[in-house]
Amino acid sequence: MKKLNTAWIIILILMIFSLPVYAGAPLDAVKINVNKVLDILRDPKLKAESAKGIKKEKLRVIYEDMFDEVEFSKRTLTRNWNKFNVDQRTEFINLFEQVLEKSYADKILDYTNEKVEFYKENMLSDTQTEVQTKIITASKEIPIFYRMILKDGKWKVYDVVVENVSLIQNYRTQFNDILLKNTPEQLLEILRKKVSKQ
Amino acid sequence: MKIFLSLIFLCFFTVGCAHNPVPSSGAFPVKKSITQPVLLASASEQNPTLSAADAVNPVDEEYKEDEVFDNYTENAVAEEKVDIADPLEPVNRAMHQFNDKLYFWALKPVAQGYKFMIPEPARISVKNFFSNLAFPARFLSCLLQADINGAATEAGRFTINTIWGIGGLLDPSSGKELNLQTQDTDLGQTLGVWGVGQGFYIVWPVFGPSSPRDSVTIAGDYFLYPVSYISPWYAGVGVRIFEEINATSLRIGDYEALKEAAIDPYVAFRDAYAQYRFKKIKARKAKLNPSAPTEEKSASNNPALPKKEE
Repeated sequence: MKKLNTAWIIILILMIFSLPVYAGAPLDAVKINVNKVLDILRDPKLKAESAKGIKKEKLRVIYEDMFDEVEFSKRTLTRNWNKFNVDQRTEFINLFEQVLEKSYADKILDYTNEKVEFYKENMLSDTQTEVQTKIITASKEIPIFYRMILKDGKWKVYDVVVENVSLIQNYRTQFNDILLKNTPEQLLEILRKKVSKQ
Repeated sequence: MKIFLSLIFLCFFTVGCAHNPVPSSGAFPVKKSITQPVLLASASEQNPTLSAADAVNPVDEEYKEDEVFDNYTENAVAEEKVDIADPLEPVNRAMHQFNDKLYFWALKPVAQGYKFMIPEPARISVKNFFSNLAFPARFLSCLLQADINGAATEAGRFTINTIWGIGGLLDPSSGKELNLQTQDTDLGQTLGVWGVGQGFYIVWPVFGPSSPRDSVTIAGDYFLYPVSYISPWYAGVGVRIFEEINATSLRIGDYEALKEAAIDPYVAFRDAYAQYRFKKIKARKAKLNPSAPTEEKSASNNPALPKKEE
Protein backbone atom coordinates (compact mmCIF):
# COMPACT_ATOMS: atom_id res chain seq x y z
CA MET A 1 0.00 0.00 0.00
CA LYS A 2 2.83 2.31 0.88
CA LYS A 3 4.35 1.63 -2.50
CA LEU A 4 1.16 2.67 -4.22
CA ASN A 5 1.06 5.94 -2.33
CA THR A 6 4.61 6.75 -3.30
CA ALA A 7 3.70 5.97 -6.86
CA TRP A 8 0.84 8.40 -6.81
CA ILE A 9 2.97 11.08 -5.26
CA ILE A 10 5.59 10.65 -7.93
CA ILE A 11 2.99 10.78 -10.65
CA LEU A 12 1.49 13.89 -9.10
CA ILE A 13 4.88 15.58 -8.93
CA LEU A 14 5.61 14.71 -12.54
CA MET A 15 2.30 16.08 -13.65
CA ILE A 16 2.82 19.30 -11.77
CA PHE A 17 6.24 19.77 -13.31
CA SER A 18 5.05 19.10 -16.81
CA LEU A 19 2.18 21.56 -16.51
CA PRO A 20 4.03 24.78 -17.38
CA VAL A 21 4.62 23.39 -20.85
CA TYR A 22 0.97 23.61 -21.69
CA ALA A 23 -0.31 26.51 -19.65
CA GLY A 24 0.31 29.34 -22.11
CA ALA A 25 3.76 29.77 -20.64
CA PRO A 26 5.39 31.14 -23.81
CA LEU A 27 2.85 33.92 -24.17
CA ASP A 28 3.33 34.85 -20.55
CA ALA A 29 7.09 34.78 -20.92
CA VAL A 30 6.92 37.25 -23.79
CA LYS A 31 4.33 39.36 -22.03
CA ILE A 32 6.32 39.64 -18.83
CA ASN A 33 9.51 40.53 -20.66
CA VAL A 34 7.92 43.03 -23.04
CA ASN A 35 6.11 44.69 -20.18
CA LYS A 36 9.38 44.94 -18.28
CA VAL A 37 10.89 46.65 -21.33
CA LEU A 38 7.97 49.06 -21.55
CA ASP A 39 8.29 49.87 -17.85
CA ILE A 40 11.89 50.82 -18.36
CA LEU A 41 11.09 52.91 -21.43
CA ARG A 42 8.34 54.76 -19.59
CA ASP A 43 10.20 55.17 -16.32
CA PRO A 44 10.09 58.92 -15.58
CA LYS A 45 13.31 58.67 -13.61
CA LEU A 46 15.12 57.50 -16.73
CA LYS A 47 13.67 60.13 -19.07
CA ALA A 48 16.87 62.15 -19.28
CA GLU A 49 19.13 61.71 -22.30
CA SER A 50 21.98 60.81 -19.97
CA ALA A 51 20.06 57.81 -18.66
CA LYS A 52 20.30 56.08 -22.02
CA GLY A 53 23.23 54.00 -20.88
CA ILE A 54 21.38 52.83 -17.78
CA LYS A 55 18.34 51.95 -19.86
CA LYS A 56 20.43 49.92 -22.29
CA GLU A 57 22.05 48.11 -19.39
CA LYS A 58 18.65 47.23 -17.98
CA LEU A 59 17.39 46.13 -21.36
CA ARG A 60 20.33 43.80 -21.78
CA VAL A 61 19.41 41.89 -18.63
CA ILE A 62 15.92 41.37 -20.01
CA TYR A 63 16.79 40.14 -23.43
CA GLU A 64 19.53 37.91 -22.22
CA ASP A 65 16.82 36.19 -20.27
CA MET A 66 14.41 36.29 -23.18
CA PHE A 67 16.52 35.22 -26.15
CA ASP A 68 18.51 32.12 -26.85
CA GLU A 69 21.55 33.49 -28.63
CA VAL A 70 23.07 30.08 -29.36
CA GLU A 71 19.90 28.91 -31.06
CA PHE A 72 19.79 32.24 -32.88
CA SER A 73 23.28 31.80 -34.26
CA LYS A 74 22.82 28.16 -35.17
CA ARG A 75 19.69 28.84 -37.08
CA THR A 76 21.20 31.72 -39.00
CA LEU A 77 24.27 29.77 -40.00
CA THR A 78 22.44 26.46 -40.58
CA ARG A 79 24.69 24.24 -42.68
CA ASN A 80 27.55 26.67 -42.37
CA TRP A 81 27.58 26.11 -38.61
CA ASN A 82 29.60 22.97 -39.19
CA LYS A 83 32.27 24.89 -41.06
CA PHE A 84 33.06 26.90 -37.95
CA ASN A 85 35.34 25.44 -35.30
CA VAL A 86 34.46 25.75 -31.63
CA ASP A 87 36.36 28.99 -31.04
CA GLN A 88 34.90 30.54 -34.15
CA ARG A 89 31.42 29.54 -33.08
CA THR A 90 31.85 31.14 -29.69
CA GLU A 91 33.16 34.30 -31.25
CA PHE A 92 30.43 34.32 -33.85
CA ILE A 93 27.68 34.08 -31.22
CA ASN A 94 29.28 36.88 -29.29
CA LEU A 95 29.74 39.18 -32.29
CA PHE A 96 26.32 38.49 -33.75
CA GLU A 97 24.71 39.31 -30.43
CA GLN A 98 26.54 42.62 -30.33
CA VAL A 99 25.49 43.48 -33.88
CA LEU A 100 21.86 42.86 -33.02
CA GLU A 101 22.05 44.67 -29.73
CA LYS A 102 23.67 47.75 -31.16
CA SER A 103 21.30 47.95 -34.09
CA TYR A 104 18.08 47.46 -32.23
CA ALA A 105 18.70 49.00 -28.80
CA ASP A 106 18.48 52.54 -30.12
CA LYS A 107 15.41 51.72 -32.13
CA ILE A 108 13.70 50.27 -29.08
CA LEU A 109 14.61 53.29 -26.99
CA ASP A 110 12.66 55.44 -29.45
CA TYR A 111 9.44 53.75 -28.50
CA THR A 112 7.47 55.32 -25.69
CA ASN A 113 3.74 55.63 -26.19
CA GLU A 114 3.11 52.63 -28.36
CA LYS A 115 0.71 49.98 -27.23
CA VAL A 116 1.66 46.34 -27.42
CA GLU A 117 -1.05 43.77 -27.89
CA PHE A 118 -0.50 40.07 -27.27
CA TYR A 119 -3.17 38.27 -29.12
CA LYS A 120 -2.24 34.77 -29.99
CA GLU A 121 -0.10 31.78 -29.26
CA ASN A 122 0.38 29.38 -32.10
CA MET A 123 1.92 26.07 -31.11
CA LEU A 124 4.17 24.78 -33.88
CA SER A 125 5.09 21.64 -32.02
CA ASP A 126 5.38 20.74 -28.38
CA THR A 127 8.68 22.47 -28.00
CA GLN A 128 8.16 25.27 -30.47
CA THR A 129 5.62 28.03 -30.54
CA GLU A 130 4.92 31.38 -32.09
CA VAL A 131 3.65 34.22 -29.93
CA GLN A 132 1.92 36.83 -32.02
CA THR A 133 1.99 40.43 -30.89
CA LYS A 134 1.26 43.79 -32.43
CA ILE A 135 2.80 47.16 -31.81
CA ILE A 136 0.17 49.82 -32.32
CA THR A 137 1.44 53.29 -33.10
CA ALA A 138 -0.52 56.38 -34.08
CA SER A 139 -0.11 55.77 -37.80
CA LYS A 140 0.25 52.01 -38.13
CA GLU A 141 0.19 48.54 -36.65
CA ILE A 142 3.32 46.45 -36.78
CA PRO A 143 2.87 42.70 -36.35
CA ILE A 144 5.74 41.14 -34.42
CA PHE A 145 5.86 37.39 -33.91
CA TYR A 146 8.23 35.73 -31.48
CA ARG A 147 9.15 32.17 -32.31
CA MET A 148 10.10 30.33 -29.18
CA ILE A 149 11.64 27.05 -28.20
CA LEU A 150 11.38 25.16 -24.94
CA LYS A 151 14.82 24.56 -23.50
CA ASP A 152 15.43 23.20 -20.04
CA GLY A 153 11.90 24.08 -19.02
CA LYS A 154 12.18 27.66 -20.18
CA TRP A 155 10.70 29.27 -23.26
CA LYS A 156 13.30 31.24 -25.14
CA VAL A 157 12.96 33.31 -28.26
CA TYR A 158 14.91 32.04 -31.26
CA ASP A 159 13.42 34.16 -34.04
CA VAL A 160 11.57 37.42 -34.39
CA VAL A 161 9.28 37.92 -37.36
CA VAL A 162 8.54 41.56 -38.09
CA GLU A 163 5.91 42.31 -40.73
CA ASN A 164 6.24 38.83 -42.17
CA VAL A 165 10.02 39.07 -42.41
CA SER A 166 11.88 36.54 -40.32
CA LEU A 167 15.01 38.00 -38.81
CA ILE A 168 16.83 34.71 -38.83
CA GLN A 169 16.01 34.00 -42.43
CA ASN A 170 17.13 37.47 -43.39
CA TYR A 171 20.52 37.03 -41.75
CA ARG A 172 20.79 33.50 -43.08
CA THR A 173 20.53 34.79 -46.64
CA GLN A 174 23.20 37.38 -45.93
CA PHE A 175 25.60 34.95 -44.26
CA ASN A 176 25.04 32.36 -46.97
CA ASP A 177 25.84 34.96 -49.57
CA ILE A 178 29.01 36.02 -47.77
CA LEU A 179 30.16 32.46 -47.04
CA LEU A 180 29.78 31.49 -50.68
CA LYS A 181 32.83 33.57 -51.45
CA ASN A 182 34.52 33.85 -48.06
CA THR A 183 35.82 31.65 -45.28
CA PRO A 184 34.29 31.68 -41.78
CA GLU A 185 37.32 33.64 -40.61
CA GLN A 186 36.61 36.37 -43.16
CA LEU A 187 33.00 36.54 -42.07
CA LEU A 188 34.13 36.98 -38.48
CA GLU A 189 36.42 39.76 -39.64
CA ILE A 190 33.48 41.51 -41.33
CA LEU A 191 31.48 41.21 -38.11
CA ARG A 192 34.37 42.45 -35.99
CA LYS A 193 34.66 45.53 -38.19
CA LYS A 194 30.92 46.13 -38.01
CA VAL A 195 30.88 45.89 -34.23
CA SER A 196 33.80 48.25 -33.78
CA LYS A 197 32.29 50.76 -36.23
CA GLN A 198 28.92 50.91 -34.49
CA MET B 1 6.51 -5.48 -9.31
CA LYS B 2 3.59 -4.90 -11.57
CA ILE B 3 2.96 -1.56 -9.91
CA PHE B 4 6.58 -0.64 -10.28
CA LEU B 5 6.55 -1.40 -13.98
CA SER B 6 3.40 0.56 -14.59
CA LEU B 7 4.93 3.40 -12.64
CA ILE B 8 7.93 3.51 -14.94
CA PHE B 9 5.59 3.41 -17.88
CA LEU B 10 3.61 6.29 -16.42
CA CYS B 11 6.75 8.27 -15.75
CA PHE B 12 7.61 8.05 -19.40
CA PHE B 13 4.08 8.83 -20.30
CA THR B 14 3.77 11.97 -18.21
CA VAL B 15 7.18 13.33 -19.00
CA GLY B 16 7.46 12.20 -22.53
CA CYS B 17 3.93 12.09 -23.78
CA ALA B 18 4.55 15.12 -25.89
CA HIS B 19 7.48 13.58 -27.66
CA ASN B 20 8.59 10.61 -29.56
CA PRO B 21 9.57 7.83 -27.27
CA VAL B 22 13.28 7.36 -26.95
CA PRO B 23 14.33 5.14 -29.82
CA SER B 24 14.95 1.58 -28.75
CA SER B 25 18.23 1.40 -30.59
CA GLY B 26 21.24 2.59 -28.68
CA ALA B 27 22.11 5.20 -31.25
CA PHE B 28 20.67 8.42 -30.00
CA PRO B 29 20.67 11.22 -32.54
CA VAL B 30 22.57 14.16 -31.22
CA LYS B 31 20.11 16.71 -32.42
CA LYS B 32 17.48 15.33 -30.06
CA SER B 33 19.14 17.25 -27.33
CA ILE B 34 18.38 20.39 -29.23
CA THR B 35 14.83 19.77 -30.24
CA GLN B 36 13.74 17.97 -27.13
CA PRO B 37 15.23 19.63 -24.12
CA VAL B 38 12.59 18.19 -21.83
CA LEU B 39 13.90 14.76 -22.53
CA LEU B 40 17.40 15.63 -21.46
CA ALA B 41 16.95 13.91 -18.14
CA SER B 42 16.13 10.58 -19.65
CA ALA B 43 18.61 11.13 -22.45
CA SER B 44 21.44 11.46 -20.01
CA GLU B 45 20.83 7.97 -18.74
CA GLN B 46 21.24 6.57 -22.18
CA ASN B 47 24.04 8.74 -23.38
CA PRO B 48 25.98 10.29 -20.55
CA THR B 49 28.81 11.52 -22.75
CA LEU B 50 26.45 13.71 -24.71
CA SER B 51 25.01 15.52 -21.74
CA ALA B 52 28.44 15.94 -20.25
CA ALA B 53 29.54 17.68 -23.41
CA ASP B 54 26.39 19.74 -23.25
CA ALA B 55 27.16 20.92 -19.80
CA VAL B 56 30.71 21.88 -20.62
CA ASN B 57 30.02 23.71 -23.80
CA PRO B 58 26.61 23.91 -25.38
CA VAL B 59 28.19 25.36 -28.49
CA ASP B 60 30.14 22.21 -29.03
CA GLU B 61 27.24 20.11 -30.24
CA GLU B 62 27.22 18.76 -33.69
CA TYR B 63 24.39 20.52 -35.36
CA LYS B 64 22.79 18.58 -38.11
CA GLU B 65 21.05 21.51 -39.59
CA ASP B 66 20.00 19.78 -42.79
CA GLU B 67 17.56 17.62 -40.94
CA VAL B 68 16.44 20.26 -38.54
CA PHE B 69 15.82 22.55 -41.45
CA ASP B 70 13.56 19.94 -43.02
CA ASN B 71 11.69 19.74 -39.78
CA TYR B 72 10.91 23.41 -39.92
CA THR B 73 9.37 23.12 -43.33
CA GLU B 74 7.15 20.33 -42.12
CA ASN B 75 6.01 22.44 -39.26
CA ALA B 76 2.78 24.35 -39.22
CA VAL B 77 4.24 27.79 -39.63
CA ALA B 78 6.96 26.54 -41.82
CA GLU B 79 10.13 28.42 -42.32
CA GLU B 80 9.92 28.30 -46.04
CA LYS B 81 12.91 28.81 -48.16
CA VAL B 82 12.08 32.01 -49.91
CA ASP B 83 14.65 32.85 -52.48
CA ILE B 84 14.61 35.20 -55.38
CA ALA B 85 16.92 34.88 -58.35
CA ASP B 86 19.15 37.84 -58.92
CA PRO B 87 20.75 37.70 -62.36
CA LEU B 88 20.98 41.49 -62.54
CA GLU B 89 22.89 41.79 -59.29
CA PRO B 90 25.55 44.30 -60.44
CA VAL B 91 22.94 46.64 -61.93
CA ASN B 92 20.67 46.15 -58.95
CA ARG B 93 23.44 46.92 -56.52
CA ALA B 94 24.13 50.16 -58.36
CA MET B 95 20.43 51.04 -58.25
CA HIS B 96 20.32 50.16 -54.57
CA GLN B 97 23.17 52.61 -54.02
CA PHE B 98 21.37 55.25 -56.04
CA ASN B 99 18.16 54.87 -54.02
CA ASP B 100 20.13 54.88 -50.81
CA LYS B 101 21.74 58.20 -51.71
CA LEU B 102 18.41 59.56 -52.91
CA TYR B 103 16.97 58.77 -49.50
CA PHE B 104 19.78 60.18 -47.41
CA TRP B 105 20.56 63.23 -49.52
CA ALA B 106 17.13 64.34 -50.67
CA LEU B 107 14.13 62.55 -49.27
CA LYS B 108 15.15 62.29 -45.64
CA PRO B 109 16.26 65.90 -45.07
CA VAL B 110 13.10 67.23 -46.72
CA ALA B 111 10.89 64.79 -44.81
CA GLN B 112 12.61 65.76 -41.57
CA GLY B 113 11.93 69.45 -42.17
CA TYR B 114 8.35 68.65 -43.06
CA LYS B 115 7.97 66.48 -39.97
CA PHE B 116 9.26 69.33 -37.85
CA MET B 117 6.66 71.74 -39.23
CA ILE B 118 3.55 69.59 -39.51
CA PRO B 119 2.13 67.79 -36.47
CA GLU B 120 1.67 64.04 -36.72
CA PRO B 121 -2.17 63.92 -36.81
CA ALA B 122 -2.15 66.17 -39.86
CA ARG B 123 0.41 63.99 -41.58
CA ILE B 124 -1.66 60.90 -40.83
CA SER B 125 -4.66 62.64 -42.39
CA VAL B 126 -2.66 63.38 -45.51
CA LYS B 127 -1.67 59.73 -45.65
CA ASN B 128 -5.32 58.69 -45.29
CA PHE B 129 -6.28 61.06 -48.07
CA PHE B 130 -3.82 59.55 -50.54
CA SER B 131 -4.67 56.06 -49.42
CA ASN B 132 -8.34 56.78 -50.10
CA LEU B 133 -7.41 58.12 -53.52
CA ALA B 134 -5.63 54.89 -54.37
CA PHE B 135 -8.89 53.01 -53.99
CA PRO B 136 -9.35 52.05 -57.69
CA ALA B 137 -6.26 49.82 -57.80
CA ARG B 138 -7.24 47.95 -54.64
CA PHE B 139 -10.86 47.62 -55.76
CA LEU B 140 -9.85 46.24 -59.13
CA SER B 141 -7.36 43.84 -57.55
CA CYS B 142 -10.04 42.47 -55.26
CA LEU B 143 -12.37 41.98 -58.21
CA LEU B 144 -9.68 40.29 -60.26
CA GLN B 145 -9.04 37.94 -57.38
CA ALA B 146 -12.78 37.20 -57.23
CA ASP B 147 -12.70 38.55 -53.70
CA ILE B 148 -16.21 40.02 -53.64
CA ASN B 149 -16.06 40.62 -49.92
CA GLY B 150 -12.86 42.58 -50.26
CA ALA B 151 -14.21 44.59 -53.18
CA ALA B 152 -17.36 45.44 -51.24
CA THR B 153 -15.28 46.44 -48.23
CA GLU B 154 -13.16 48.69 -50.40
CA ALA B 155 -16.20 50.27 -52.07
CA GLY B 156 -17.80 50.83 -48.68
CA ARG B 157 -14.63 52.33 -47.28
CA PHE B 158 -14.26 54.66 -50.22
CA THR B 159 -17.84 55.90 -49.96
CA ILE B 160 -17.83 56.34 -46.20
CA ASN B 161 -14.40 57.90 -45.96
CA THR B 162 -15.02 60.26 -48.85
CA ILE B 163 -18.34 61.49 -47.52
CA TRP B 164 -17.98 61.29 -43.73
CA GLY B 165 -14.22 61.35 -43.64
CA ILE B 166 -13.95 64.77 -45.32
CA GLY B 167 -12.75 63.54 -48.68
CA GLY B 168 -10.67 60.78 -47.14
CA LEU B 169 -8.73 62.84 -44.62
CA LEU B 170 -10.22 60.81 -41.83
CA ASP B 171 -10.71 57.09 -41.74
CA PRO B 172 -13.99 56.47 -39.89
CA SER B 173 -14.58 53.10 -41.57
CA SER B 174 -11.65 51.38 -39.89
CA GLY B 175 -13.05 52.30 -36.49
CA LYS B 176 -14.47 49.73 -34.12
CA GLU B 177 -18.11 50.19 -35.17
CA LEU B 178 -17.72 49.67 -38.89
CA ASN B 179 -14.46 47.76 -38.89
CA LEU B 180 -13.85 47.96 -42.62
CA GLN B 181 -10.11 47.60 -43.01
CA THR B 182 -8.04 48.52 -46.03
CA GLN B 183 -7.65 45.53 -48.30
CA ASP B 184 -3.97 44.97 -48.62
CA THR B 185 -3.92 44.14 -52.31
CA ASP B 186 -2.25 45.25 -55.47
CA LEU B 187 -1.99 44.05 -59.04
CA GLY B 188 1.30 42.20 -58.64
CA GLN B 189 -0.21 40.32 -55.75
CA THR B 190 -3.21 39.47 -57.92
CA LEU B 191 -0.89 37.92 -60.48
CA GLY B 192 0.77 36.04 -57.64
CA VAL B 193 -2.55 34.68 -56.48
CA TRP B 194 -3.19 33.56 -60.05
CA GLY B 195 0.01 31.59 -59.89
CA VAL B 196 2.51 33.84 -61.64
CA GLY B 197 5.92 33.43 -60.05
CA GLN B 198 7.84 36.46 -58.95
CA GLY B 199 10.65 35.90 -61.43
CA PHE B 200 13.81 37.70 -60.51
CA TYR B 201 14.84 40.67 -58.45
CA ILE B 202 14.83 44.15 -59.90
CA VAL B 203 15.70 47.37 -58.12
CA TRP B 204 14.04 50.24 -59.91
CA PRO B 205 15.46 53.69 -59.40
CA VAL B 206 13.10 55.66 -57.14
CA PHE B 207 10.54 52.81 -56.87
CA GLY B 208 12.93 50.41 -55.20
CA PRO B 209 12.79 46.61 -54.82
CA SER B 210 10.58 44.84 -57.33
CA SER B 211 10.29 41.93 -59.70
CA PRO B 212 8.85 41.60 -63.20
CA ARG B 213 5.56 40.56 -61.68
CA ASP B 214 5.44 43.35 -59.15
CA SER B 215 6.47 45.89 -61.76
CA VAL B 216 2.93 45.43 -63.03
CA THR B 217 1.89 47.15 -59.82
CA ILE B 218 4.02 50.15 -60.62
CA ALA B 219 2.62 50.40 -64.16
CA GLY B 220 -0.96 49.59 -63.18
CA ASP B 221 -0.89 52.01 -60.29
CA TYR B 222 0.07 54.74 -62.67
CA PHE B 223 -3.08 54.25 -64.76
CA LEU B 224 -5.40 53.56 -61.83
CA TYR B 225 -4.19 56.39 -59.65
CA PRO B 226 -6.19 59.60 -60.16
CA VAL B 227 -3.15 61.73 -59.38
CA SER B 228 -1.57 60.54 -62.63
CA TYR B 229 -4.24 62.38 -64.59
CA ILE B 230 -3.51 65.78 -63.11
CA SER B 231 -2.37 68.13 -65.84
CA PRO B 232 0.10 69.55 -66.49
CA TRP B 233 2.16 66.43 -65.85
CA TYR B 234 4.64 68.12 -63.54
CA ALA B 235 1.82 69.08 -61.18
CA GLY B 236 1.00 65.38 -60.90
CA VAL B 237 4.63 64.57 -60.26
CA GLY B 238 4.72 67.30 -57.62
CA VAL B 239 1.74 65.75 -55.86
CA ARG B 240 3.40 62.33 -55.95
CA ILE B 241 6.58 63.78 -54.46
CA PHE B 242 4.57 65.45 -51.72
CA GLU B 243 2.82 62.17 -51.02
CA GLU B 244 6.16 60.41 -50.74
CA ILE B 245 7.60 63.04 -48.42
CA ASN B 246 4.55 62.78 -46.21
CA ALA B 247 4.76 59.00 -46.10
CA THR B 248 8.49 59.13 -45.37
CA SER B 249 7.97 61.57 -42.52
CA LEU B 250 5.89 58.92 -40.76
CA ARG B 251 8.59 56.27 -40.96
CA ILE B 252 11.89 58.09 -40.61
CA GLY B 253 14.32 55.79 -38.91
CA ASP B 254 12.92 52.51 -40.20
CA TYR B 255 15.17 52.35 -43.22
CA GLU B 256 18.17 53.44 -41.16
CA ALA B 257 17.53 50.78 -38.54
CA LEU B 258 17.22 48.04 -41.15
CA LYS B 259 20.33 49.18 -42.94
CA GLU B 260 22.27 49.53 -39.72
CA ALA B 261 21.35 46.02 -38.62
CA ALA B 262 22.33 44.41 -41.91
CA ILE B 263 25.70 42.90 -42.63
CA ASP B 264 25.15 43.31 -46.36
CA PRO B 265 22.25 45.77 -46.73
CA TYR B 266 21.65 44.94 -50.38
CA VAL B 267 21.15 41.24 -49.64
CA ALA B 268 19.16 42.07 -46.52
CA PHE B 269 16.69 44.18 -48.44
CA ARG B 270 16.44 41.67 -51.24
CA ASP B 271 15.61 38.91 -48.80
CA ALA B 272 13.17 41.06 -46.84
CA TYR B 273 11.40 41.94 -50.07
CA ALA B 274 11.19 38.29 -51.16
CA GLN B 275 9.89 37.13 -47.77
CA TYR B 276 7.42 39.97 -47.50
CA ARG B 277 5.85 39.45 -50.91
CA PHE B 278 5.86 35.68 -50.60
CA LYS B 279 4.02 35.66 -47.32
CA LYS B 280 1.59 38.37 -48.42
CA ILE B 281 0.52 36.31 -51.41
CA LYS B 282 0.36 33.15 -49.36
CA ALA B 283 -1.85 34.81 -46.79
CA ARG B 284 -4.03 36.16 -49.55
CA LYS B 285 -4.39 32.76 -51.15
CA ALA B 286 -5.30 31.27 -47.78
CA LYS B 287 -7.94 33.93 -47.30
CA LEU B 288 -9.48 33.39 -50.73
CA ASN B 289 -9.34 29.64 -50.52
CA PRO B 290 -10.14 28.66 -46.97
CA SER B 291 -10.40 24.97 -47.85
CA ALA B 292 -6.68 24.88 -48.50
CA PRO B 293 -4.74 24.21 -45.31
CA THR B 294 -3.93 27.52 -43.74
CA GLU B 295 -1.30 28.11 -41.16
CA GLU B 296 -3.73 28.27 -38.30
CA LYS B 297 -5.63 25.19 -39.24
CA SER B 298 -2.63 22.96 -39.45
CA ALA B 299 -1.31 24.47 -36.26
CA SER B 300 -4.31 23.30 -34.33
CA ASN B 301 -3.76 19.81 -35.63
CA ASN B 302 -0.37 20.19 -34.08
CA PRO B 303 1.45 16.95 -34.83
CA ALA B 304 3.32 15.86 -31.76
CA LEU B 305 6.62 16.12 -33.52
CA PRO B 306 7.73 16.27 -37.12
CA LYS B 307 7.83 12.85 -38.67
CA LYS B 308 11.37 13.35 -39.86
CA GLU B 309 12.54 12.85 -36.31
CA GLU B 310 12.29 9.10 -36.72
